Amino acid sequence: MQAPVSEVVEGHDHRGAVTLSADVVVVGSGAGGMVAATILAESGLDVLVLEEGRNVPAAIHGKLRQSQSLRHLWREGGMTLAVGVGATPGVNVTMGTGVGGSSLVTGGVCLRVPEAILAPWSRALGLSELTPEGMDPYYREVEEAVHVEQVPVEMQSRSTELFGIGAAKLGHPIRPIGRNTKGCNGCGRCNFGCPEQAKMSVDLAYLPRLLAAGGRVWSDCLVERVIHRNGRATGVRGRLRNGPGRTRGSRVTVHARVVIVACGGIHSPVLLSASGLASVGGQVGRNMTLHPGFRVFATFDEPVRGWRGALQSAYTDAFEHEHVTLMSLFIPGSVIAATMPGAGPALMRRAKELPHIAMFGAMVHDEGPGTVWRNPFAREPVVTYRMSPSDRRAMYRGIRLVGETFLAAGAKQLYLPVLGIDGPFDADGFRRFELEKVPPRRIECSSQHPLGSIQMGAVASASGVDPDGRLWDTDNVFLCDGSVIPTSLGVNPQLTIMAMATRIAQKLRERFRRIAA
Amino acid sequence: MNEASPAPVETDPYLVEGWDARAPRPGLSKATRRRARLVAEALFTDDDGPPPPARLDWLETDLADFFGHLALRARFIFWICVTSTYVLAPLVFGRFTSFGRLPRSERVHALEAFERTPLSLALLGAKAILSIVYFEHPDAARAIGWDQGCKRP
Repeated sequence: MQAPVSEVVEGHDHRGAVTLSADVVVVGSGAGGMVAATILAESGLDVLVLEEGRNVPAAIHGKLRQSQSLRHLWREGGMTLAVGVGATPGVNVTMGTGVGGSSLVTGGVCLRVPEAILAPWSRALGLSELTPEGMDPYYREVEEAVHVEQVPVEMQSRSTELFGIGAAKLGHPIRPIGRNTKGCNGCGRCNFGCPEQAKMSVDLAYLPRLLAAGGRVWSDCLVERVIHRNGRATGVRGRLRNGPGRTRGSRVTVHARVVIVACGGIHSPVLLSASGLASVGGQVGRNMTLHPGFRVFATFDEPVRGWRGALQSAYTDAFEHEHVTLMSLFIPGSVIAATMPGAGPALMRRAKELPHIAMFGAMVHDEGPGTVWRNPFAREPVVTYRMSPSDRRAMYRGIRLVGETFLAAGAKQLYLPVLGIDGPFDADGFRRFELEKVPPRRIECSSQHPLGSIQMGAVASASGVDPDGRLWDTDNVFLCDGSVIPTSLGVNPQLTIMAMATRIAQKLRERFRRIAA
Repeated sequence: MNEASPAPVETDPYLVEGWDARAPRPGLSKATRRRARLVAEALFTDDDGPPPPARLDWLETDLADFFGHLALRARFIFWICVTSTYVLAPLVFGRFTSFGRLPRSERVHALEAFERTPLSLALLGAKAILSIVYFEHPDAARAIGWDQGCKRP
């Protein structure tokens, strides 16, 4: 099921300025943009997708080393940092780039938003259609398109099995998760582009449909402005990355009747802000949540080889009332070695424990908020993030829970995500360690889910887009990515982003003539 | 670990079949490459001694390719991380000289001392990228038992 690569126009190979036109121009080709583009193209509209990153065909992913995938598929090589404000750790925020966006580098987790999270959207935020029943048809459509299946128990890694043993002993058993896979071999490499083309990322599940319906996709095309006048957008303009060293080169102008912005939770606010489209309500770029995540390593006497098996296969929401979700994952051996304490012989001795290491993560269902600040001198914005007191409690609690669960499974030692501590803890050391007194800035933290920076809402003064995804500032600019998610979800957002994009695109399709007139 | 092992590269490791994976620009200056190499040599010294020079050559080349793909800010962040480690680690360890002038045995201790300070995020940044690249060398991966196998063969 390889995408017909030749039909993606490689912007870096194009020479000279280019002017194009379309019914709909979609900026960004990730889980939101690609889905919306496909639905609109299949309804007969002329759709053009512009993607800033490269087109790395799915067949190439298996030929790249993991660090090569990092440099080709991850924005800034995975080095984006949200600066912690106040008692907040710095957060390493990872995002994908390229045709397929972050769907190329997710673990494939596909979970619907829990009812307890969804209910306030309709009650308190006035989003009356976003009920479990209202969202169900969109979820079902996406689940079928990306082939969501439950990870079979036999595909769990030994690392996850061990955590599951501890969790069962402590009375909070883990549950299998759904992922968008077909024929997964359990290579644990989902985050680096699936080497088997078994993860149904949007370049595999939607791109062939888009191209078959006559949609066009340009890679290496950085959109810098939405062109608008009197509350109506007339297109976008930007640059191809065909300059020396793939820098900004030839000018691109696209005339379109409708513009869809789908650059993700961090870069959509940047584009709108640069275009002067962030004024109504003043909410664009604010209220961002991140789902801050923390990992704990545990060493066992038995060989674990946690990289063999589905990268993410099980979770527990037993602690949702404490705003914590525990989620299985495994990271490459090289990254585990990097986060071991020490240097020289001490570090290398610890790195050699790698085959005996298990790992599990804790994710905070956070309040935040974070803010995206456009950098007028460079492409990448400055992102700041402030944890609420409740987020901080959940952070320490999540680390404790993972540690205790591994100890219940018989772990010998624990490596905690705390910078500057000397070594691993045994059970007694862990229980004596005053984790909650460690300054948050010394906690190692990462995020894969920047959400809600242009929240959907029923009131213009308190949100960025209306309930149909239309930017309040204009008649014909729509948002289709994680930025419109109204609150933190507490579960991985990929499926919800795709379902929301489906809903926004279907509603746009129904009213296109009127909107475009 | 001191045996000279051949680098696992063909003539050009960045020409992936059917696709051009080469970096479009030089990623790091000579000075940053040299500093990164010295920090890596200390980080990955094990009980048998420092890594073989050929492996550090490979690391240096691949690191330059890594950053050759990235935009200015990522390259700047790495430069800050490596340079602050290079300059501050000896000071924290009580030596008023540069990292490169420390005796090899003291470089490891300087890094350990630096890691215990509130500035350790800089070392973590450098250590993360250096490790991600270094442990992909087949000999380095083998040394830590990372076979990268799949569940279903």
